Order: sequence, then structure tokens, then C-alpha cells
Amino acid sequence: MIVVPCPNCGPRNSSDLRNAGEVVARPDPATTSLTEWRSYLYLRENPAGWVTETWYCRSGCRRYFTIERNTSTNEIRESESS
Amino acid sequence: MSRHGYKYSAGRLLRHGLTRDAWPRMWRRPERRDSYDVVIIGGGLHGLATAYYLAQNHGITNVAVVDKGYIGGGGSGRNTAIVRSNYLTPEGVAFYDRSLHLYNTMATDLNLNVMLSRRGHLTLAHTDSALRTMNWRAEVNKLLDIDSAVIGPAEVKRLTPSLDVSPDTRYPILGALYHPPGGIVRHDAVVWGYARAADHLGVHLLQETEVFDIICDGGDGPDGKGSGGRVTGVRTSYGDIGSPVVVNCTAGWASLISNMAGVPLAITTHPLQAAVTEPCKVFLPTVVVSGSLHVYVSQTDRGELVFGASVDPVGSYRVNGTLEFTEELAGHVLELMPGISKMRLMRQWSGLCDMTPDYSPIMGYTSVEGYLVDVGWGTYGFKAGPVAGETMAETIATGRAADLIAPFTIDRFTAGDLVGEKGAAAVGH
Amino acid sequence: MSSQRLPTRAGELIDRSTSLSFTWNGRSFSGHEGDTIASALAAAGVEVFSRGMKYHRRRGILTADHWDPNLSVQVGDEPNVRAGSRRLVDGMQVSAQNAWPSLRWDLGTANQLVGRFLSAGFYYKTFMRPQFLWHNLYQRILRKFAPGGRVHWKTGTHGDYDKRYAHPDVLVAGGGPAGMAAALSAAEAGASVMLVEQEPELGGHLRWGGPDDLTVLADLREALYSTPGIEVLCDSIVTGRYDHNWVAVMQRSHPVVPERLIKARVGSLVVAPGLVERPYVFAGNDIPGVMLAGAVRRLINLWAVKPGSRAVVLSANAEGDAAVADLESAGVAVIAVLDARAGEDIVQVRGRGRVASVQTGDGRTLKADLLVTATGWSAPTSLLNMAGDRPVYDKVAARYFPQSLPDNVLATGGIEGDGSTAELAAHGRETGALAAQRALRLRHERRTQTARSVRPESTPPASVPDNRIPLRRSPHPECYRSTTHGLVDYSEDISSKDLIQAAGEGFDSIELMKRYTTVTMGPGQGKLETVNAAAVLAEVRALDLADIGTTVWRPPFSPVSLGALAGRIFEPVRRSALQDWHEANGATNLLAGQWVRPDHYGDPMAEATNVRENVGLIDVTPLGKLDLRGPDVANLLNLVYVNRWQKLEVGRVRYGAMVTEDGVVSDDGVTGRLADDHYLMTTTSSGAGAVWEMLEDWLQTYRPDWEVHVTPVTGGLTSINVAGPRSRDLLERLVEDVDLSADAFPYFSVRTGTVSGVQDCIIWRIGFTGELSYEIHVPSGYSLHVWESLVSSGSDLGVAPFGIEAQRILRLEKGHYIVGQDTDGLSKAPTAGLGGLVKLDKADTIGLPELRAAFERTDLPVLVGLQPDDPTIVPEEACQIVAAGSNEILGRVTSSRMSPTLERSICLAQVDPSLASAGTSVTVKLVDGRRITATVQEHHAHVDPEGARQRV
Ligand SMILES: Cc1cc2nc3c(=O)[nH]c(=O)nc-3n(C[C@H](O)[C@H](O)[C@H](O)COP(=O)(O)OP(=O)(O)OC[C@H]3O[C@@H](n4cnc5c(N)ncnc54)[C@H](O)[C@@H]3O)c2cc1C
Ligand SMILES: [Zn+2]
Repeated sequence: MIVVPCPNCGPRNSSDLRNAGEVVARPDPATTSLTEWRSYLYLRENPAGWVTETWYCRSGCRRYFTIERNTSTNEIRESESS
Repeated sequence: MSRHGYKYSAGRLLRHGLTRDAWPRMWRRPERRDSYDVVIIGGGLHGLATAYYLAQNHGITNVAVVDKGYIGGGGSGRNTAIVRSNYLTPEGVAFYDRSLHLYNTMATDLNLNVMLSRRGHLTLAHTDSALRTMNWRAEVNKLLDIDSAVIGPAEVKRLTPSLDVSPDTRYPILGALYHPPGGIVRHDAVVWGYARAADHLGVHLLQETEVFDIICDGGDGPDGKGSGGRVTGVRTSYGDIGSPVVVNCTAGWASLISNMAGVPLAITTHPLQAAVTEPCKVFLPTVVVSGSLHVYVSQTDRGELVFGASVDPVGSYRVNGTLEFTEELAGHVLELMPGISKMRLMRQWSGLCDMTPDYSPIMGYTSVEGYLVDVGWGTYGFKAGPVAGETMAETIATGRAADLIAPFTIDRFTAGDLVGEKGAAAVGH
Repeated sequence: MSSQRLPTRAGELIDRSTSLSFTWNGRSFSGHEGDTIASALAAAGVEVFSRGMKYHRRRGILTADHWDPNLSVQVGDEPNVRAGSRRLVDGMQVSAQNAWPSLRWDLGTANQLVGRFLSAGFYYKTFMRPQFLWHNLYQRILRKFAPGGRVHWKTGTHGDYDKRYAHPDVLVAGGGPAGMAAALSAAEAGASVMLVEQEPELGGHLRWGGPDDLTVLADLREALYSTPGIEVLCDSIVTGRYDHNWVAVMQRSHPVVPERLIKARVGSLVVAPGLVERPYVFAGNDIPGVMLAGAVRRLINLWAVKPGSRAVVLSANAEGDAAVADLESAGVAVIAVLDARAGEDIVQVRGRGRVASVQTGDGRTLKADLLVTATGWSAPTSLLNMAGDRPVYDKVAARYFPQSLPDNVLATGGIEGDGSTAELAAHGRETGALAAQRALRLRHERRTQTARSVRPESTPPASVPDNRIPLRRSPHPECYRSTTHGLVDYSEDISSKDLIQAAGEGFDSIELMKRYTTVTMGPGQGKLETVNAAAVLAEVRALDLADIGTTVWRPPFSPVSLGALAGRIFEPVRRSALQDWHEANGATNLLAGQWVRPDHYGDPMAEATNVRENVGLIDVTPLGKLDLRGPDVANLLNLVYVNRWQKLEVGRVRYGAMVTEDGVVSDDGVTGRLADDHYLMTTTSSGAGAVWEMLEDWLQTYRPDWEVHVTPVTGGLTSINVAGPRSRDLLERLVEDVDLSADAFPYFSVRTGTVSGVQDCIIWRIGFTGELSYEIHVPSGYSLHVWESLVSSGSDLGVAPFGIEAQRILRLEKGHYIVGQDTDGLSKAPTAGLGGLVKLDKADTIGLPELRAAFERTDLPVLVGLQPDDPTIVPEEACQIVAAGSNEILGRVTSSRMSPTLERSICLAQVDPSLASAGTSVTVKLVDGRRITATVQEHHAHVDPEGARQRV
């Protein structure tokens, strides 16, 4: 049970939150091509190392926020984009 | 008697017992060559089976299987070895059924007892919508000649007396999809069987050799990688190895390898955990799976219960396991079999699963010439190892994708043609 | 059997004034409080406790502690109890596990005769042919020989277990001198401390030491119990250390529950488990009477049991020397002491059922009934491994030591090095202080990280460097195997010969060797065996032990019962406020996701007919309900639904469908506009949670500029559907302030009003059943009143409740699809027939590019109404639609029922587009294999496709 720091609620057990995966930029649906759209849908970097990802504070304040997590060690640090 | 082709048999066992002669090695520690006709990255079941069928069916023997650890050290040595073919889609059924056929004759084909135990596989339904999905699977299966049917609680109880089928539980057992030919196999033996047979045919098994990069030229990305390019070899912890054909059979690590060729994948890596109890006298005759409760269980010949679940919700490359997995597991198993709460969990472990959005593999050629993938095996790739090896070998040898793998091309994501296995594979393995 | 109980010993744990009676294999025995099962039996002269797994040779006491591989017994309905550590309880029924028909006469010994053929991995090399015999015969026989106890799966129940959360600053694993000292100094530094000891009492090896050790122990114990802030848990094992210092403790000897799982978020974990003494590999090393030095010292000093009468001791260390002294003090004749430090050795032990003679390295044969070995220790590094450490082998000290630990895990005591009791305690004290310092810093940091918590007043404690004086590593001879072969793994019956054979066959890395031979895979998980196995491999490969590595230790440190892991099983169900009424009125329930709800009240067909003819009531509370407020709600709806929402007027409701970003139909429902800035959205029952989270996601991460407030009100509002031609008549009797006439309150509109005196009920006119109907959303506290008023006011109108089954019949007659039943994980909008609804010219909608792509395609399956030509046959849901003459799959029946209105079977089906036009005849394969024909209908609706009945 790792500890995930919610910007509102502070450090909490990860079971209180939901991991919503790697952050991927959404193309503008009005102008995107299908190929670009499907890269957004399906292709993931899936690195063994630092990844910027979204968490949802499901049992707490219900905020979505991003952090950086090292997928090899589970270390967590603040995300530059959050 | 040559070292290769040394046959195992009861007679041999007797002779060795009497003479106390040493057994020959199952495989060599070969001298590395500078180049091979085919380099397979990943010495799991898929890599080894591909190498074996390349040599056995197509006479291509100048092949190296490269693994950063020891053979079978990835998912192939960590899985719970459930084999079955009662998938949901016709393309899935055809594929896995071929694999079961290969499993059936494997012990004699490879001259190693892989302990296939077709003890019957039950997928429990706790809700009427689950029961509907079971019916769907059974009906598709029957049309494709797979032994598969939906049975009621009484029959479930008859097949597996330790299950609580009373109607007033939180997750009542309303019925089950029963697949008599489903069962388990000794995973390590399968790996060793292919390794030994491939080695015998001349394939090089290069253990403890890590691939750091794939050497490409002509591609649209940096260093000649990416679409339109071609592969010329791999860079390893023991230097470069040249090869016009490089096959990615690295399962949980598939994205890392594929990114080396500039071919991104529709994969996220998630740990999948399993656990085993201390041995007890045998009481569980079948393999029992419950999708709603995210758990499955079987009992080994040594009397241990082997448990598995669905993948960890958070993706990672960590294999040290979690406590919550064992807590949930125990709670759910005891929902099904309240009588076993005094059994003790002895060991938990975890492996990496390469999850695709449609719970189906990604196989065949890619946009980089000479770079092939056999990945996306998620939680269900062990049973598919033999057929994956056979079809990948055919694909490499003939230069065109084998029919059985046509639904699983890498292009299906850009084409928006996903496979509909999600419902059947989630915890089914 | 004669009593082996010695006169009183200084440190003995037993209370001789007590007498506990128990049975062993059906015979009565007695022991004292403080005895383990094994010590009580040994005191009574029992020498054989189990049989080996493969060859069924007799086994006696080896280590006399928790890890003793020979002491697994059955206690009542509990299998695999460790008799070496489990304390005796009055009335215990203990029996041997691995023997049949009895421990004395075990038929399995026959395996000894064929032992030479049962070499490592023998089963891989035979039984290949004929195939069927493997499963039908060989495997069955193999399964009969499975080791271990018996689980009472027929009669067992889950029982009472409990869990606890804890947040100690410092958790110390191990209550020997170093661990106790660490706990003390950590508490003195201001940390909250949990000290966990696996034995029922503190002290570790001090317990069986001399008078000085006993004095130190008494002082430390006294200090511990008088220092505030320390919780001492004995008979409890730290079973795992997981990421972010999440530590599992299995607590026994709890007053209420048999076992309790404590989950601790620990600031600093101090690992002080001491060392595990290692067996020596030589011929006959599993004959009862071969014991480790620690075993005889424990037997003599803790339980006053005489372990034998004539002993030979092989000693490589002070523990062995101390054992000699203990043996002598217990009246055991020590006839020879072989000093391994001087190169002396033993090569073989002989005896049937008990050691009879010992053959020494220099060729002597000594008559003895006890051989004691003291050949060194293994470091139980499991917890360190779990923290990411890869311990390294030190050749001089002949054991493994920690290599690099994360900041929040510290090691002390024997696992760190050697020293006198005082030195170990001193190292423990320094470690405890350092652990406390780090933990207090962390506590401070966590407090400041929490935006809404009260800021800690103080400044963070200073970070201190690790200035501990390391414990020394005393030289110790590398004693692993004699010149003969013996057992390496007692639980798995694996000898050094098996390992050498395996290495020769190519299994020459420790992991492969383990898998091939199963060495270390038994209940002890290698605590005693791993290092010996690695040593044998090193020998074969002519490598240093340091270059062999070891297998990776995995949790749990010691096996944990499933019951304790599960704890109290808490799987709640949701009930609507009306559920009690339903149950009191004859409802048969159905579990649907989290909800329990009425399937029917006895006769679903009649319930459905009553809705068509009179008026019915159904509780649809599980329907997801989201209250949406704010100026941008219409923008949000426009984004998440495939259709257009800007023009929905106040007082109107609209149907909407959602797709995911990849274009698959994911949810649907109606949403009504209650006021300018106020909407109520409904979702499917199963989708309620996911839709809510999805809306939050889009609002927070994609359009934070939009002002919308989402509140889930699924349980807060009880939803009652009043359906049937007489529903308006019924409601007119109860609704006070809303004009229900067709003109004033048309189809697909919403009003807020007072129902049976309850204000603020939301009423909307929609028709899932195809009848004139109203859905009333009542504040749940008042819903029973409203429901009962509806029932009692409508008796003359024929009002009756109906359940899910009747609703399914009615909606199918009406052709309404259900997301997830009539659609699946690949169904795109065109399949569900949403062509008319979807607006592709919007600037943005979830999944818009996929929606566009989907409507370009001509190969997607199509949902159609379908009627079997034989009206009496209802094809089961999920039956496949096939080509007439073959098994080619062309679709499937997604819903089917007998229609009470049409008195014929009706279906919805997904079919290949080539079969989708009205009038097409298709072949349906029934579950029993029969093939029937059915005809595709023009509409999804089988009853009233024009919708006349609902628009009245
Ligand atoms: C707990 C668990 C239970 C499972 N249960 C089942 C089941 O019951 N039934 C079923 O069918 N499937 C099951 N699976 C899935 C199955 O184990 C896998 O899909 C399958 O083993 C994949 O085989 P593979 O040969 O493709 O990959 P692996 O066996 O994982 O082999 C990949 C190899 O690639 C090597 N490698 C990685 N990176 C590099 C590099 N850079 N250089 C060199 N080598 C590299 C690794 O060392 C590894 O040996 C389970 C998986 C797990 C984890
Ligand atoms: Zn929060």
C-alpha cells in the first residue's frame, strides 16, 4: 500500500485513491486525424522510470491531480505540471 | 550416445538409478556468435517456442534466444499455468484451441513430462449478467467444437465439493462455465522442454545477456529507428550481435524493447500477483475462477493451493508484491470456500503483464523491417506459448503473417479494429 | 518412553504447578504451561514427530523452534502447526501429519526402496506415454502423497478474525537484546514504538543463556515495560515489509481473536531478527537425535528437557561450546567434542529411528544417541530483501550481511554483526535513536504536507548522520557440507546429491536449481536451507558463495492463515429505503452489482400485464442520479452525450447516450432541466459511480473554466416509477401542485411538486416500459410514506408493485436496449441504432472522431428486433445466430423473453449488417443444439412501435 500525497488531503493510502494512468495530451477532436487520435487512445510510453500520471482522490476530496511516480521503485515526487 | 537427443524414459530412469551415472545437460552454455539469422529477445516460453518451431518446422537453426536473466525467469516462471481454450471470440477460440492441441502432445513431442492436467476449469457466475456472458462463451465455444457448457450450482458442487453454493451468500454461485479440457500444466517443465529441444536443434540460448538497444537504419526517427527503417542487430551486455530479424518476446518489458526500435506499443505494464499456501491433503479437484471476486484457485499435486487474481490497479515494473493483494485474495477465497480459513499462505510473488486495451496480443510484422513483435500477452499468455511460437516461426519463415495471427496485428489499433476478448480474459487467464 | 524432564533450570519457562493434558496420535499426555507441543512431547520421551515428505523416514527435533522443519503437526482442525513454537493448550488434540496408516508403521517408507530412482526431477523424465495414464493414474497417485495436514473444508467456518491499523514512528522487529535496546532508546527519543517478538516472551537468545544473560534480560524487560510509548507484542511476527514502509504484523495470543493482522504505516523499521542456526549436511543428518546446538540449549534451559544421554558435539563456534556445557549440566554424557575450527569433522550418523553411532572425520565410530552440530548461522534477511536490499556474503564470517538499506529501514543485532550482549545492546540503542530521529522528521514532513492539517509548531528535528559504530564480523569457518551427502532441505527431502545432479543437467543457477529440485520451496521457504543449497552449487561450479547469489525472499516471513488475512469479511450491499417494504411484501430478491432489489413479487408475467392494463409501481432507486448545477451544465452535457443539449428548456427532459473516447457506447439515461442552472442526470445503475467520476475528470482536468457542481444523489433520492394507463389517475389523487393533464405535462417533461404531502419531489414523464408513466424522485426519508400512499390510494385502480423481471419484459416488448447487455465492449453508436441521435457536427464530444469514423463504416453489427418463427420458443440470451448451413457466427440474441402482451417470444439481437433489414430470416442455434428460424423485425419495439401508449 503506497502513500500518495493529495494536494488537499495530504499523504493517504493509495486505496483511498484511483490511479488514472499516464498523462496523455488530448488532440483537438475537431482537427485531429484518426491516426493521431488513436495514438492518443492507445499508445503509451510505459517507461520503467519516472512517469507523470493522474490520480483521483476518490475517498477524500475527489480532486484529480498529477504526480510523478517512478514505476521501477514507486518513489513519488511532485509533478511540475500539477 | 550423443549428448544431444538424449531420450528420457522410464527405462533410462531405471538405468541411471542403478548405475548412478550422471544425466547429461538439458542445454548448453554456447559460445556466442557475432551474428545470427534470427535473434529472439526474451527467453520465456514465447521466445523459446518460437526458436524451437523455427528450427523444427522450418529448418532455421542459426537462431539466438537472448535473455537478461535465466530462461523462464519472467512471466513464464511465475504464472499459474492455467490452460484453456474457452475464449469469447471465434478468433480467440481458434488460436487458443490450437495451443491446447500442442499442449496435448507436448510431453511426447518434447520428450519431457510437462504434467498437463486437464482437470476441468470452472468460471463461476455470481450475477445473471455474468451468467449471460458465460452462456455467450459456451455457445461460441460449442460452435467451434470446444467442450464447454454452462452448468448449475448442483453440478458445480458435485465437481468441486468445497465450494459454498448456498444461495444466501454475498456472491451466490448461480452457475458456472464448465470447460472439461481446461486445466493446469507445470510451467517450468514447458519452458525447459522447449529450451532443451531448441538447444538440441542447434539454437543458442544466451542467458544473462541483456539487450540495451536495437540497431536500426533508415527509419524516420532518431538513429534510423522508427517507421520505414530496418533492423540490423542488437546491442547487448556482451557486445553487438548482428541479425536481419529481431523478435520481441519480452512480455512485461515489451514497451521498453519496442521503444528501442522506435515502435511504440498499445501496452501498459502491470504487476500480476499470485500466492501459494502450505501444502494440505488434496481436496480441490478442479480449477476454479471467479471473475466478480477477482480470484482463481487450483491445488497442486503437492497439495498447495495456488491463487491468482486480476492485475494490480496501478501500473508499474515492481514485482515485490503488496499486502492488500493477499488480504483481498483471502477474503474472496473464503467467500467461495469458508472451510479453509485455517490454511496458511506461504509465499506471494508477482510478475509483469503487458496489458493491451482489448486483452489480445500484438503479433507479427511492424513498420520497421525485420522487427517483429509477439507481445501483449497480459495475464493469459502462457497457454498461448506453443501456438504463438508456431505461428511466429511460420511468419518469420514465410515472410507473411500466419492466418491464425491475422486478427492480432499491430495495425488494428490505428485501424480501430480491436478484438472483443475483454469480457472473457479479465481474470480468466 | 520415560520422562526426560530435568530438575528445575534457572531460566525455564514452564510453570510446574500446572498440568495441561493433550493427546498425541490419540494417546494422552500432559505438559506444563510454558511448554511447546514439542517440548511437552520430548519431555515425555517422544522422539519421532513426523515423516519425511518423499522417503517417509522418521524425523525428530532438529531446531526446537518455529522453523523446525520436522515439527509440523495437526492440531484439531488446524493443519501444519509448528510444534516447535506453538505453546501447549489444555485439551489440544495433536497428531502427526505425514504418515499413513500411522507414524510408526508408515507405508510411504516403501519409497525408500526405490529412492535411487526418485532423483531430482525424475517425474519430468517419465510418465510421458501413454498420455492418458499421466492424468488418470500417475497424477492421482502423486496427489495421494501430498504432504501437509488436513484442512477441514467440509465443516470449517471462517471464524472470528480482526484487523488493526497502527502508525508507530518506529517498529522494531525482534525482541532480543538489540531489538529491546533499540525500542527503549527510540522511545526515549520521543518516538512511539511498537516492539514485535515472534516468541511468547522477550529476550531472544538471552533466554537460554547463563546467569549474566538472564540478568541483562530482566533489566531490559523491566525498562521496556516501564518506559511510556512502547507497545510490546509477543507471539507476533512481522510477516512483511512493503513499499513505503507498510508493515504487516500477525499477532497471536490476542485475548479475543485467534490471530489479528496489524497493518502499520511505520516511520522507521528496525530489523533485529537475530540469526537462524543452520543445519550441517552429512549422511544421516535427518535421523532423530541429530540436533542443532540451539535446539539442545533451548530444550534444556527453557523447558528442562534432556535431549539424549550420550552426545557427540561438532562445534564451530561459541554456541557449540555453550551447548557442551549445557549438556553436561543436564547430565548428558558428552563423549566427544569435535572442533570444526581445528578441522575436525563428522561424516556420518547411523541408526534406525534414533542416532546409534557417529562416524568422525578421522575414522572413529562413536556410540551415541545424540549428535549436536554448531556449524554457523544464516541471516534471516527476508525483511531486508523486501526493502530492496541484496545482502552480500562475507567469506570470513561465513554468512550474509545487509548491503544497502533505504533510510527508513535499519538493521541491528546479529543480522548486522557479532558482539557481546553489551555490544549488541549498545548497537541497538544507537540504532533506535537514529530510527527515532528519522521517523520524527518524517512525521513532521507529513504534517506539513497536509494542506489542511494544523501546522506543527516545532521545527523539524535535525537530520543526523549514521554514526553508529558497526558491529564486528567474527571469523567463522565455512561449514556447509561434510565429505558425505545428506539432506539440504528437510521439508522437501532433497539431498546435496540431488542438487549436484540438477546442476549437472544445466540447472546451475540458484533460481533454476530451486525450480528443478524444489529446494527451499517448502513451508520454511528456505530459512534453514537456502545457504546450504547455494553452498552446494558453489561447490559444483567451483565458485565463491558470494558469486552464487541467493533466491529472493518473498513475503510472508512466516506463513499466515487465510482467515487472518481476510479478517472480518466486509462486503456491504446497498438497499433502497423501500427494500424492507419489498421484503415484507413477498419480494424475491436479486443481487445487481452493489444493490439488492426485488426481482419479482411472485409472478412477473402478471406484474407486467398489470402494468399494461392498470398501473404498476417499481422501485428504481439504483438508477444513478447526479444533481448538476451551474451556468455551464449544458456545455458539459453537450460534451459527454452524443446528442445536443443547448436547447433543452426548463421543464423538459431528454434522452442521452454516452460513448467513451474510443467510440464504444458506455452509458445512457435521461437528463432533465429543473431550473435555469439546475439539472438532474440519470445514468444506468451500474454506471452511476463511473459516470460521476468521469464528469469530475472532464470538469477538473479538461474544462476547469466551466462552472458546474456535480453532486451524486443516487441514494438520497428514492426513485419510483409509476407506470401504466392508469398511472395519471393514481397520481392525480396524490399530487397537489402540478397539473398532470396531457397538455400541461406532456411526454418528456419534468415538474417539481408535492406528492402525498412531500414537497420537492421531482416528477418526470418518460416511458421505459412503453406505457404512460411517471418517475418520481422522492427525498429518501419520505419515500416509504409516498410508496405506501401510492399503494393504498390505488387499490381500486389495480395498483401493484412490479420487479426487475417484469420491467425487463416490458422494456423488451418496447425494444429499449440495455447498455452492456444489448451492447458490448465493442459496440459503437451505429450498432445501438443511435444514428438519429448522434450529432457529428459538434465542436467537441467525447469520442467524436470515433463517432465520425463509426458512421462511415458499413460492417458494424446492427441491433434488431427479432421474433422466432415458432412463437413458443424463447431462445436463451446469448444464443448465437449462425449461417443456415454452417457454424459461421453472424450474430447473437442479446435479450429474449416471452411477451405476455403478444403471447409470443420476442428478442433483441445483434446481427451482421447483411441480415439487418426487416423481414430477413435468420437461423438461431439454441443451447440444446437445435436450430430454429427467426425473422428480423422492422423496429426494435415489438409492442406499440409508434409510441401511442406512452404519449396519451
Ligand atoms: C502471476 C501470473 C499468473 C499468470 N497466470 C497465467 C495463467 O494461468 N495462464 C496463462 O496463460 N498465462 C498466465 N500468465 C501470463 C503468462 O505468464 C505470460 O503471458 C507469459 O508467460 C509470457 O511469456 P513470454 O515468454 O512472452 O514472456 P516472459 O516469460 O515474461 O519472458 C520475457 C523474458 O524477456 C526477458 N527480457 C526482458 N527484457 C530484456 C532485455 N532487455 N534483454 C534481454 N532479455 C529481456 C526477461 O528476462 C524474460 O525472461 C500469468 C502471469 C503472471 C505474472
Ligand atoms: Zn484529496
